[in-house]
Amino acid sequence: MRYNLSFFLSFFCVLAYTQNNYTNELEEIVLKGNFSPTLNSGYSTETISDSILKSTYQSFGNLLQNTSNLYFKQNGNGMVSSISLRGTGASRTGVYWNGIAINSSLNGQTDFNTLFANGFDNVVIRRGGGSVLLGSGAIGGAINLSDEILFNSERDGNILFGFGSYTTGNTQLTGRISTDKLYAKISFGAFGSKNDYPYLGTNLNNENGELKNYNFNGVFAFKLNEQNTINFYTTIFDSDRNTSRTLTALSKAKLLDFNSRFLLDWKYLGNRYTSSFKMAYLYEKNTYFFNREQAEFSESLSKKFIGKYDMTYFLNKKILFNAGAQIDNIKGKGTNIEKAVQNDFTSYLLFHHEPISKVNYNVSIRKGFSNQYEIPFIFAVDFNAELSTNLNLKGNFATNYRLPTINDLYWEPGGNPDLVPETSSTVELGLLYTKAIFEFNLTTFLIKSNNLIQWQPVSTDIWHPLNIQNVKNYGLELSVLLHKKINTHIIDFKIQYDYVTAIDQGLSKQLIYVPNHKANSIFNYKFKSWGFSYNLQYTGKVYITTSNTQSLNAYTLSNISINRSFFKNKLQLSFQVNNLFDEKYQSVAYRPMPNRNFNLNIHLII
Amino acid sequence: MKTLKPIVTLFFALFLLNSCSDDNNENTDPPISGDYKDGYFVTNEGPFQNGSGTITFVGNDGTVEQSIYKKVNGDDLGNIVQSMVLNDDRAYIVVNNSHKVVVVDRYTMEKIDVIKGDNVNNPRYFVIFKNVGYLSNWGDPNDPSDDFIAMIDLVTNEVINTIPVGEGPENMVVSNATLFVNLEGGYSQNNKVISIDLGSNEVKTITIVGEVPNSSSVDFLGAVWVLCGGNPSWTGNETAGRLYKISDSDVSYFEFELEDHPEHLTYGNGRLYYNLNGKVYEMTLSDNDLPTENMNGFDGYYYALKYNDDKLYATDAKDFASEGDLKVFDISSAKLLETITTGIIPGDIDFQQTQ
Repeated sequence: MRYNLSFFLSFFCVLAYTQNNYTNELEEIVLKGNFSPTLNSGYSTETISDSILKSTYQSFGNLLQNTSNLYFKQNGNGMVSSISLRGTGASRTGVYWNGIAINSSLNGQTDFNTLFANGFDNVVIRRGGGSVLLGSGAIGGAINLSDEILFNSERDGNILFGFGSYTTGNTQLTGRISTDKLYAKISFGAFGSKNDYPYLGTNLNNENGELKNYNFNGVFAFKLNEQNTINFYTTIFDSDRNTSRTLTALSKAKLLDFNSRFLLDWKYLGNRYTSSFKMAYLYEKNTYFFNREQAEFSESLSKKFIGKYDMTYFLNKKILFNAGAQIDNIKGKGTNIEKAVQNDFTSYLLFHHEPISKVNYNVSIRKGFSNQYEIPFIFAVDFNAELSTNLNLKGNFATNYRLPTINDLYWEPGGNPDLVPETSSTVELGLLYTKAIFEFNLTTFLIKSNNLIQWQPVSTDIWHPLNIQNVKNYGLELSVLLHKKINTHIIDFKIQYDYVTAIDQGLSKQLIYVPNHKANSIFNYKFKSWGFSYNLQYTGKVYITTSNTQSLNAYTLSNISINRSFFKNKLQLSFQVNNLFDEKYQSVAYRPMPNRNFNLNIHLII
Repeated sequence: MKTLKPIVTLFFALFLLNSCSDDNNENTDPPISGDYKDGYFVTNEGPFQNGSGTITFVGNDGTVEQSIYKKVNGDDLGNIVQSMVLNDDRAYIVVNNSHKVVVVDRYTMEKIDVIKGDNVNNPRYFVIFKNVGYLSNWGDPNDPSDDFIAMIDLVTNEVINTIPVGEGPENMVVSNATLFVNLEGGYSQNNKVISIDLGSNEVKTITIVGEVPNSSSVDFLGAVWVLCGGNPSWTGNETAGRLYKISDSDVSYFEFELEDHPEHLTYGNGRLYYNLNGKVYEMTLSDNDLPTENMNGFDGYYYALKYNDDKLYATDAKDFASEGDLKVFDISSAKLLETITTGIIPGDIDFQQTQ
């Protein structure tokens, strides 16, 4: 569902003021940190509900593609999958875990097939440039995966089993327990598939596509008193994938990914003051076997320590200040990385003001220092204005950066220690119209990026990254939501359409693997214990050569699902058909995607 | 013309999976029975990780035609088209990562046969001597001990014998009924030239040369010239490039500066040509020293360089993710005659077989 959170924010503000204290906003800020709507009033955000996360088992990439209108470039089903939000590259979309940036320290990207969202409670997609509050790389937008903590003295358990085509099986077990002082959640998942789908129109199949993975999430929280809580989060992901053949070549390769992440967060919630002190440790390792039958491999790993302090202070009802400081210490190592250390210190300051009723704005700045490069001074301004009870106008202008990563700086051969941060200016304006059962959202944006890091051949066997590319992106995003309830019939309908142009300024050509057109629609119908859902997706043509001479065809996918719940929702069965019309399509050239396939999920809630 | 391991891992590390192909330009036209008799060919490796290589035809009348194999046969040639050899009315196209050699009619491009199987494994180059094809194979690129030369009967198109060699057999030349194989090293660095008697098909000599013998040519007297790039600096054991001359009686060499790693040796009309640091150099067979002056107007970091009929043909792979260029230089006038758009990563240029 897409909400304009600022709309709710203004609602909350009114509520807060009538209560004559700051509790609601403070709680929201403490809960959502730098993704908090108050601090992001001029940005559009979209939330994916926990019921969707918990009832289907799929990689985070597939989930986002099916429920939201995001574009992923997938190297075959289950293989490396990277996002392009607003036509920016995969390393220019920030991915966060409970507010901590988790894009790879090595290449700056996130492989969305190495994240499974079932164990989480909440996903927020925040579009638009956000480096000032969120740090390096949040240029096209940012996605936050988070765990929810409730001291409500309840306990529950979720058991999910799934079976599907191509010998696919999965399970996720989640248990939560809480008192008024303690909260604990443990979630464990496993997934495996032979993934040997046929390549439509050929006599080949997806050879060497087997994959399996395990995920573990743990949350432990202690409420020391009304003001102080200490939260501990951990997530571990272990994946073993063979890498699929292509239409023209077999593969014997295999890729192992291991991620473990730990976060300790001490939150303080006062009367007009709130703070959060975070310490995080992120470990990532990937191992690539050219031939899985042999012992030889190459690997890269990084260890990242983050220390972060963030505070918010309400000067009065109309004005608040938010400030933070963060240190990042990253160490990299690997077959092609001798010894790599990156030390960054950054700090930011935000001023939030509501000068007149129903209008508010933020002004924010960020500056940092590093042992490697000069981190630029950046700033942002955003606003939200409630023009009438139904109509909201929001907008923002921001400068942003992306810091070079370990591979860019230290890869041997070729890495370039003289790289400087990439810079981008982003601007957007959006309108939101809401009326009873109807919501309409229209946003236009422009991104100008300079000094983008690009790996270029300097000889036949050495490539070298340079701050060389300038890109201009612009486009519009449209979404319409309908929600209608007639007696026991509930209908939800959502349609989203994105238009994106991303032009390499040197070549005057569209970037490869950025579709101009992308659309998604979901129709949900519920009647008593029955549910029916139809998802239709369209992905436009993408260029696959930088000269724009060759392209991949557009494709349209239909997915349907039927579900029924039993025993007062304690048992839910859902049956899904993906790629209903057997569309022959490729996300990446020469790597066909699956034909029509089925899966069945059994979800038990205890 | 080789895809070194660091590049493989780099691409993997960067997720640079931006491959490119003409897969979806669905070609519904009936195959054109084009006449490829008068002209020459450029083989294009195709996008690095996935996709298909292609062949560009350049007619003597100036026409240029792309993807001619697919046009004629309707299907993709395969992943990483490494090299090609013309022989009478046949052409042999070596497709590295699809582990095959495609045999076509040299005039029409119609597919005749495909040579593949266990004895075609990471094939690199193909030379022909008396109706037998010799195909260099890396085998498993991580296994230094399974490299071999496959002997192919050109009547049956079957592998009739394999000759084990050291790591990374690459370019080959024939002189005096002897096959000279550069052991370039594949994903690592080797430093040998192996000679095989083409009567007995047995290894005659193994000559230690400089590191990374990357190209070779035979002069009009039958001497074999081998250009060694030397170990690149990233190996941590950088060595200078060398130019070897191997004749019946003698092995001698010229040494480059330590940081100089030349490549693309080609021979014609009594002169040797090579590419170094973005320049092209020329020397005569009797020169006592390496040239210090580069050829004016020939500059470029080329992906392939070949002499033919008083012209130098040089390819530029550009960003490796779009069409490359072929530049044709007239040697005597030092003029760029034309620049021809090729397919993606143009790696080999093939003229009428002179064997």
